[in-house]
Amino acid sequence: MSTLFAWIRRLPTVQVTLSVALLVLGFLIAAQIASEGPRVRYSTEERTPLIETALRLQSEQEGFQAQILALRQEIGTLEAAGSGDAEELRRLYGELEAARISAGLVAVSGPGVAFRFEDGGLGVDSLVTARDVRVLIQELWLAGAEGIAVNDERIVGTSAILDIGGSMIINSAYLAPLYEIRAIGPPDLYQRVQASASFVAFVQGRIEPAGIRLSVAQPEVVDLPAFAGTVSVRYAAPAPEGGG
Amino acid sequence: MTESRVRVHVRGGSLAPGEPAPTGTRRRPPIHHAQRIIGPGSRLTLALVAALLGLLAVGQLRGQANVPGLSILSATELTQLIANLAAGNDELRGEVADLGDRRATLQSARARGETTVDDLTEDLAAIRAWSGLTPVTGPGVAVTVRGSIGGDGIDDLLNEIRNAGAEAISVDGVRIVSGAVVAGAPGALSVGNQALGESFEIRVIGSPQILTGTLTRTGGVIAQIGATYPLATITVTPVDRLTLPATDRTLAPTYSEPRL
Repeated sequence: MSTLFAWIRRLPTVQVTLSVALLVLGFLIAAQIASEGPRVRYSTEERTPLIETALRLQSEQEGFQAQILALRQEIGTLEAAGSGDAEELRRLYGELEAARISAGLVAVSGPGVAFRFEDGGLGVDSLVTARDVRVLIQELWLAGAEGIAVNDERIVGTSAILDIGGSMIINSAYLAPLYEIRAIGPPDLYQRVQASASFVAFVQGRIEPAGIRLSVAQPEVVDLPAFAGTVSVRYAAPAPEGGG
Repeated sequence: MTESRVRVHVRGGSLAPGEPAPTGTRRRPPIHHAQRIIGPGSRLTLALVAALLGLLAVGQLRGQANVPGLSILSATELTQLIANLAAGNDELRGEVADLGDRRATLQSARARGETTVDDLTEDLAAIRAWSGLTPVTGPGVAVTVRGSIGGDGIDDLLNEIRNAGAEAISVDGVRIVSGAVVAGAPGALSVGNQALGESFEIRVIGSPQILTGTLTRTGGVIAQIGATYPLATITVTPVDRLTLPATDRTLAPTYSEPRL
């Protein structure tokens, strides 16, 4: 052993440095190749334009969402200014604002809870699915939540939550892990969720065995974004009260 | 600073620092140790290796950062995502146009000094109808569910109905809005506080063709539910005109404050 050390000591420093650097280089090349492993099956020439198209559409979507929020804000300001001092107009404007808040078209803050879903490391079964997110949302509604958002997407009556690979589409927006589900509701919202037999069954039957990480925080204030999707309808029209 | 006691290798032997050179050896001017042993070629090699290392390290970090993104999707999944994004963007584009028109109308009315009662009333009616606060009517489908099925099956069905562009949904006469959930084990299903029987109807307003096609396609949601709940029967019928009731839930928030 001492002969080996003596031999190494006799080596010029530059050779040792180069050897170490090349060793690290080799390791990094191997790591790079290994990390590409699961994606190799997808590495076809057709993917690059697909990714570029998806990124372009995502960016376009973000632009539309920003425009929608800005236009709604502007319309609200114009309506408020137009209502002036006339009592009927003021009442109508008040009702309109209340309807917008009830519908999730206004960003809100309040007490609540924030859950975070992270994929586990036990294979495909440990990926967080749209069903997992939907189950948690259902539990929150049942516990009395009055507003919910997943990442930056506000959940409304028409929100679909779909799986796409290891990611999700919510309100037509692409969301990648991890997923934060924030809800506003009564101050004991989390205790209510915890006390639910179906939530306990969900955690014990799905989350724990799959190794999915579900964490929770109870911040003093939870912020929810406004729904930035479409509320225009093509098929539904207001009907006389009492219809069913 | 302590002086390092290294031996410097020179041709024909070695010297300790400060040791006089042997007779006959021409003493070179003192130069830095590293300069002496690393020639220009070695320095270039080291620089190249360092550059390559840096590139690979950045590539590795970027690769790790991209893992949760689009890079994990297959070509088929990317195509599906693109279709979804494109369809969603079409709707958003329409919404932007509608809102732009609405703004122009309000601006014009304001410039003329006209009141906006009609505008406000129209806007209020549209938002109330969309959010479920008032009854709505229109074409769509009636989905009849019979037999043993759990809340998860109905949730899957409602999720696919929403994905197919449903504008309004009711389950056994209860309007589905934010917070209205169908839950329970087979035979003990309920929507809100209302128990559901062995057979009930889901009414949906939207495009009858798209809704029917999406729900009944081979390998679609109904086929998948059938695999989990073989005793359940789900039928979809296009309807020219349906009327859905308003929700009886209070949607006005108690704990939320508008964020400025």
